Amino acid sequence: MSEKLALLVPEIIVFLTTCIVMVVGLSPNLAVRRSCGLLSASGLFIAAILAINGPAGDGLLPGLTPYIKAVIALIGVLLVMLVAGTVDREEDARVSRGGVFNALRTNRAEFYSFILFSLTGAMLCASASDLIWLFLALELTSLPTYVLVTMSTRGTRSQEAGVKYFFLGALGAAVFLYGFALIYGGTGSTKFVDIASIIAQQGINQITLAGMILAIIGVSFKIAAVPMHFYTADVYQGAASPVTAFLAFVPKTAGFVSLILLLALVGWDHGTDKVSVGHTLPSQLRLLLWVMAALTMTIGNVLAVVQSSPKRVLAYSSIAHSGYMLVGLIAGPGDYGAGFAHNGIAAVLFYLAAYGLMNVGAFAALAGLERRGRDGRPVEIDSFDDLRGLCAGRPLLGWTLVVCSLSLLGLPPLLGFFSKLPLFTSGIASGEIVLVIVMGINSAIAAFYYLRFAAVAMLEDPSDGPKPLAAPFPARAMSGLVALVLVISLSFFGDALMKASRNAAVVEGSGVRAVPASPSPGHKAGDRHDAASPAAAPAQRVGA
Amino acid sequence: MPSTLAAVELNSYLPIFIILLMAVTFAVANVAGSLLIGPQRKGGNKGIAYESGMNPVGTARKRFNVRFYLIAMVFLVFDVEIIFLYPWAATFPNIDPGSPDSLVWLGRILFFLFTTVVAYVYGFRKGVFRFD
Repeated sequence: MSEKLALLVPEIIVFLTTCIVMVVGLSPNLAVRRSCGLLSASGLFIAAILAINGPAGDGLLPGLTPYIKAVIALIGVLLVMLVAGTVDREEDARVSRGGVFNALRTNRAEFYSFILFSLTGAMLCASASDLIWLFLALELTSLPTYVLVTMSTRGTRSQEAGVKYFFLGALGAAVFLYGFALIYGGTGSTKFVDIASIIAQQGINQITLAGMILAIIGVSFKIAAVPMHFYTADVYQGAASPVTAFLAFVPKTAGFVSLILLLALVGWDHGTDKVSVGHTLPSQLRLLLWVMAALTMTIGNVLAVVQSSPKRVLAYSSIAHSGYMLVGLIAGPGDYGAGFAHNGIAAVLFYLAAYGLMNVGAFAALAGLERRGRDGRPVEIDSFDDLRGLCAGRPLLGWTLVVCSLSLLGLPPLLGFFSKLPLFTSGIASGEIVLVIVMGINSAIAAFYYLRFAAVAMLEDPSDGPKPLAAPFPARAMSGLVALVLVISLSFFGDALMKASRNAAVVEGSGVRAVPASPSPGHKAGDRHDAASPAAAPAQRVGA
Repeated sequence: MPSTLAAVELNSYLPIFIILLMAVTFAVANVAGSLLIGPQRKGGNKGIAYESGMNPVGTARKRFNVRFYLIAMVFLVFDVEIIFLYPWAATFPNIDPGSPDSLVWLGRILFFLFTTVVAYVYGFRKGVFRFD
């Protein structure tokens, strides 16, 4: 009982930070209230350090737990920096002009605590060892985001986005909860370890299979994948840019972690699993994921090309990135102890971290700019015209946008390339050649709109008329700078992260899995990878 | 290992199906019966909105002070607290006081009570308890 508590120390730290922020954010003293962001960031940072040094999980993928928690907490620090100044701007100005502080009119305490609650939920997903736990953690991730969207700007668009997000989110939750209930009905247990061993021994029955299908479709709401992607563009556009960055990373990570945990219950259909355990991904599930992956990346990319608002482009591209990551899920972990390039789960975990960073960078450039609206109030920029000539006018924001969008495109030698490459190689290793070709075509389509970001900022002259102003929150530009530095440095020194994601993606723990694999070419490649230089390693592997 | 047989066989769902059928039959039979054999009078007092037996006053679309909702939400915290405390209190005496588990059980409920206290401190600072 207390082992499980030791596993939850990072979440407890974040939760206690939430409690402090909730009270501190309502202080009558403006300076104390403004410390909310700093408090949240330090709590998350401590949680990340504790997670890195913390114990492995007790589920089917023990290494996944500390890895995902650390990634969520560290990118959470960047997101907390990015959301600086999203709420309470007018109230603070009124109070500093000598107005009376009114606790009912401030939203800072709620805003930061909802962000921390959502991050706690995403971290709890990674510790899940039980269906009920997983459901509660997923809902703890989602419920605060509905409110965050609604309160992020004062406009009616945010309210519309919040309502849409809430109702479609409730639909998604109902679908995967029904799936969880059927999995329980078909196997008689809610514990992952029990379910996996029952399926390994008796095979998967029809009720469990129906449950898995519903669970996958329901969770696809969180990752914005195809049957449940309709909300994405409207919600991402309606929310303030920093909150959009949050939506594109946190629920997506929680969703992918849940999908990995759910698929680990049935196993994957290649590698040593098949030989030694007789434990395979059922063809129905493979077909479902295959169709989801192909449609998700195609719809995301094609619709992103025709958008005129940068936020909608990033929203549709976020759908497309989910499609790429689904390829890694189909590929599965490969042979027991397979190297980074043959392990689809490691590729997904690495991609999540890389996507989080690039995403923060791209949105930091949008959040760092604003315009004066007709009534003199600051409004967000929402057109490509505002980004023209950004590199000349505001070099930091401009180059952050250029590097991050080129990295999202997957241009070598940037981080996005090294995160997309293992998805390709693991897809080929598992025999999904057609899907890998679809992914290649989609990466080419993505060039249209990502190059548009880069070209507008780098090559074009600023448009006539009033230029966008810098948002008066240095923390936003700073989070963009940190993301930029990390994207560039991880492109060349990302070996430790690759190794960590590979260790996180080892499936074991159900007892039946602990069969030592026979030596295979994948092994030798994996050993060589550990010694090879980080930037060259994936490129070598293609030839290997 | 839990048995999976009962859940997979559809036979075990038969009683649920029969109860569902009874529920639907009962509802339909009552509505149809009162339509067919009940007296049909309209207007007068029969059309008035039911207000717990009292004569209704004014319109139903009256605006309430928002504080009522805040009070209701603070009450919810109490409510949830009781819901968790009661089963905990019913289980706690059965735990061996010498085992390390007992401390974990106590710690858990104290942590939960701490979170409800935080909710009250939050409500207090937000000004929920100020009636002026």
